[in-house]
Amino acid sequence: MGILGRIFKKEAAPKRVFLMGLDGTPWGLFQSLCSQGVFKNFAQIAAQGSVLKMSTTVPEVSSVAWTTFMTGVNPGRHGVFGFVDLKPGSYSTFFPNSTHVRSPTLWQCLGKEGRRSVVVNMPSTYPAQEIDGSLIAGFVAIDLEKATYPKSLVPWLRQIGYRLDVDAALARQNPDRFFEELHISLEKGEEVFLRLMREENWDFFAAVVTGTDRLHHFFWDAWEDASSPYHSRFLEYYSKVDELAGRLYEALNGRAVFLALSDHGFGRLRRDVYLNRWLEENGYLAFSGAKRDSVADIDPARTRAFCLDPGRIYVNLKRRFPQGSVLPGREYEQLLDELTSRVAGLCYETGPGKSEKVLRRVFRKEELFRGPFESAAPDLVLLANPGSNLKGATTRTQIFDTEGPFTGMHTQDDAFFLSDRPAKDPGNLHILDASHTVLAVLGSPSLSSVEGRMVLPD
Amino acid sequence: MAQGFTVWITGLPGCGKSEIAARLEEILLERGADAERLDESQIRQNWLPSLGYGRAEQDGLTRFLGHVCHLLTRNGVLAVAAAVSASREVRNELRGLIGRFVEVHVKCPVEVCRKKDKTGRYDQALQGKLTNFVGVDIPYEEPLHPEIVLEPGEEDPDIGARKIIRTLEVLEWIPRVAGSDYNAEDEEKITKRLKDLGYL
Repeated sequence: MGILGRIFKKEAAPKRVFLMGLDGTPWGLFQSLCSQGVFKNFAQIAAQGSVLKMSTTVPEVSSVAWTTFMTGVNPGRHGVFGFVDLKPGSYSTFFPNSTHVRSPTLWQCLGKEGRRSVVVNMPSTYPAQEIDGSLIAGFVAIDLEKATYPKSLVPWLRQIGYRLDVDAALARQNPDRFFEELHISLEKGEEVFLRLMREENWDFFAAVVTGTDRLHHFFWDAWEDASSPYHSRFLEYYSKVDELAGRLYEALNGRAVFLALSDHGFGRLRRDVYLNRWLEENGYLAFSGAKRDSVADIDPARTRAFCLDPGRIYVNLKRRFPQGSVLPGREYEQLLDELTSRVAGLCYETGPGKSEKVLRRVFRKEELFRGPFESAAPDLVLLANPGSNLKGATTRTQIFDTEGPFTGMHTQDDAFFLSDRPAKDPGNLHILDASHTVLAVLGSPSLSSVEGRMVLPD
Repeated sequence: MAQGFTVWITGLPGCGKSEIAARLEEILLERGADAERLDESQIRQNWLPSLGYGRAEQDGLTRFLGHVCHLLTRNGVLAVAAAVSASREVRNELRGLIGRFVEVHVKCPVEVCRKKDKTGRYDQALQGKLTNFVGVDIPYEEPLHPEIVLEPGEEDPDIGARKIIRTLEVLEWIPRVAGSDYNAEDEEKITKRLKDLGYL
């Protein structure tokens, strides 16, 4: 290009991405809320762009799903497989946090390229790590000071009464107060989103609402049952979420690509399924004594497999575990085959002569995870059919239960992805495609190090 | 006696292995560990200045460094090696020999390594004036399953070394420092939060 060409060439404004996260909002619910008129703003954005059904990680829990989104790589590369993971070479568990994520996050990649990010309330970002921009961590953040970077934001967050989360226990103790807290948390979140949108010089902004997930855990039945006393409150909360989306979109004024997504879907919980109990009753697991608080209490000599939430089965393999009882090679493979075929037949009765199959699919780890931390992955991961809520608790004395205050459970194949411009549906859209799309829109050179596919036209 | 291990840092010439190894050794020593660093380029310069760069000589030097790391590791020392070690087969051989072995791949494109090279050897190799140069006329065989990949941008010695430290902490080969783990009170709060949502 000649000198005049260079002088008069109008530089295209660098693209920015604003991403709104709705934790646990399923595609089906999103569509219904649009058609019922509850989602006015989202419906308008979807009409000019696209809203697609998206699948998420297996297991479909927020810690794995959001970590996968934020790194753009599968758990075999980022190393987080659940809300609790096993300490290497041990039956003890720990809570993985942001310091255990072994791949760079999207904002770390962007930071190295001189681009700034703002991340608010994204689960699994606690404790807040240094960022080129600002970060206020989400679930399971417990201390505002440790959840915030830079620390200079803390006094303001305290002053406005910012909520790190709602107290979920209120849902059963005092539902009215719970709904009040959901709304307050949403309002405080909006105050933070809008101020940081104005005052930060950002290229990537992630604003996540997690009240949606909390609502679904306790009041999914209210969504399905229009006669429920909480049905209208369920819709009212979602209409406030939609109003928030409208104000955020308006504030962007077309200066960023607007995306929204959920990290997993939700559905009606019919049965809790306690897999350690199933393993115990079928001779695969035994406890050392009366204490059975966690998998650390198993008798390794008499245990061939055990489970962590939600459906992660670990073989008690020699050399992997301190007192492993299963030999690598043929014995290991035979056990996996046997477990797969037996657990696949697990059913619960729904009425006289009627039963429901618990599992949709049993995955071997190599089908789901690829990377340097694959060796830390569970050997089998179970994916449930709608209604069956897989549990890794060790304290239960029966396989099936329906007790508890929960009426909703996570689902894997009906999260959503929204864009304010038409997307090309690549088929089998996955949450990794969303991460890829963020970096692709931003023109990041780090694109080559993430997985997934570009969903928006170039 | 504490259990030793070897951190084996591999990558193209000029990718920043030596600097990362030096910073890693510094952090380990600051934490009171018995750490020793073996840097291929220093060993060549100080002890083997006449050693050639042919494939067999390079593999021989890699095996020798690996042997020393093995001796250090079995005596409870934390060994940090920085070596081009272009042969995947030889590195895998060392993994088997040493056992407690963390392979770190510094993934830096040839072009970037060439730009960073102050010795001019890359340019000489590219012009054909220097032969047996890994990345130019000797292929570098990338690890297939390294424990750690330092992506472009992470070759900064401090960023790279801290990423390695995090992995060693997760493996529980070195103790964690405050900040990465929760204390008992935090654990109790997190347990309650997760139980309130039915996750435990």
